Amino acid sequence: MSTLGLSHAALWVVVIVQALALLAVVRQLGVLHERITPAGALMLAKGLKVGEPAPALTVEDIEGNAVTLGAARADEHATLLVFVSPTCPVCKTLLPVLRSSAAAERSWLDIVLASDGEREAQKAFIVANRLEGFRYVVSAPLGVAYQVSRLPFAALVDAQGMLRARGIVNSREHLESLFEAKRLGLASIQEYFESMTRERAA
Amino acid sequence: MIDRLLGYWIEIGIALLFATAGIQKLRDLRRFAEVLAAYRVLPPALARPLAGLIPCLELATAVMLVGAARAHRVTLPAMALLILYALGLGINLARGRRDLDCGCTWAKDRPIAAWMVWRNLILAALLAITWLPWSSRGLSGADLMVLAGGLTVMAILYAAIDRLLGEVMPRTLALRRLA
Repeated sequence: MSTLGLSHAALWVVVIVQALALLAVVRQLGVLHERITPAGALMLAKGLKVGEPAPALTVEDIEGNAVTLGAARADEHATLLVFVSPTCPVCKTLLPVLRSSAAAERSWLDIVLASDGEREAQKAFIVANRLEGFRYVVSAPLGVAYQVSRLPFAALVDAQGMLRARGIVNSREHLESLFEAKRLGLASIQEYFESMTRERAA
Repeated sequence: MIDRLLGYWIEIGIALLFATAGIQKLRDLRRFAEVLAAYRVLPPALARPLAGLIPCLELATAVMLVGAARAHRVTLPAMALLILYALGLGINLARGRRDLDCGCTWAKDRPIAAWMVWRNLILAALLAITWLPWSSRGLSGADLMVLAGGLTVMAILYAAIDRLLGEVMPRTLALRRLA
């Protein structure tokens, strides 16, 4: 092989290695971003204030029974409203997580699934994903009241009817961060960052 | 007039893209059927049978692209698929459905975005370049090295840019909004 050919081949190796290094850096960035969101699911700028009374609504569940959501409760249980839809693929991946959370947090938390749209599609969704164990409400006004923008979305209301956390939940980490946010008394990731900044300034 | 090498590079590169897309879809047909139905661009009754047909079309397209050097018109199905996907993405973006799972080959739960439309249109435009007349020189051993190197670099950079735009950028923007 001539010197020119050799240097050409060597340059290709260098370019490939550089491209691999770039891919590795981008992957690391992705992992880093995932790790720096420890408390409270990402909250949208507009919306209800955490720590203030949640919107109280009486809606119908899938069987047609009236359910009051967002009001103070006598049994000291908090309510986690999870907004899902039969047409949202991410929601389906979250359902097993919800099932295990419902069992693990049973002592203080009731999980209520909320959706809107055709009742037949909802019933098929419940049967297909074995959601009979959950209270399932179908109401468009509920989603509007909680200002749900993207699914799957969750709102945590404590026993006194105060909104404790709300945000988009795409994964187990997001869901658990909602519980963690309540435990720490932080509303969302924004508040977490603010409290970190205050600590640093102090 | 374009060099043969450039033509082969574009066609084989995009053929690899279609082949991986088709294989990934076949490996999880149920998910793809859900994604396709969620796009709401087809009658619901058609979504399920088409979910099986589309990956086969993609694989056939990939095979045709590899053999496209002799007849440019066999790049047409690939261009049509790319533009149809761009259309599906564009319609849903216009509907304001920012939460729709894009059904991208390597990424789960990634919402659709405007850059995906541009990506598809750029790929289709690259295929259009191969319609220019090709030079008739023969390929040497060095050319094969350039082709192999070029395809490897292209595949790695495609993966890197895909992750950068799809996973890193949205989170960076979300964090910037917090600051």
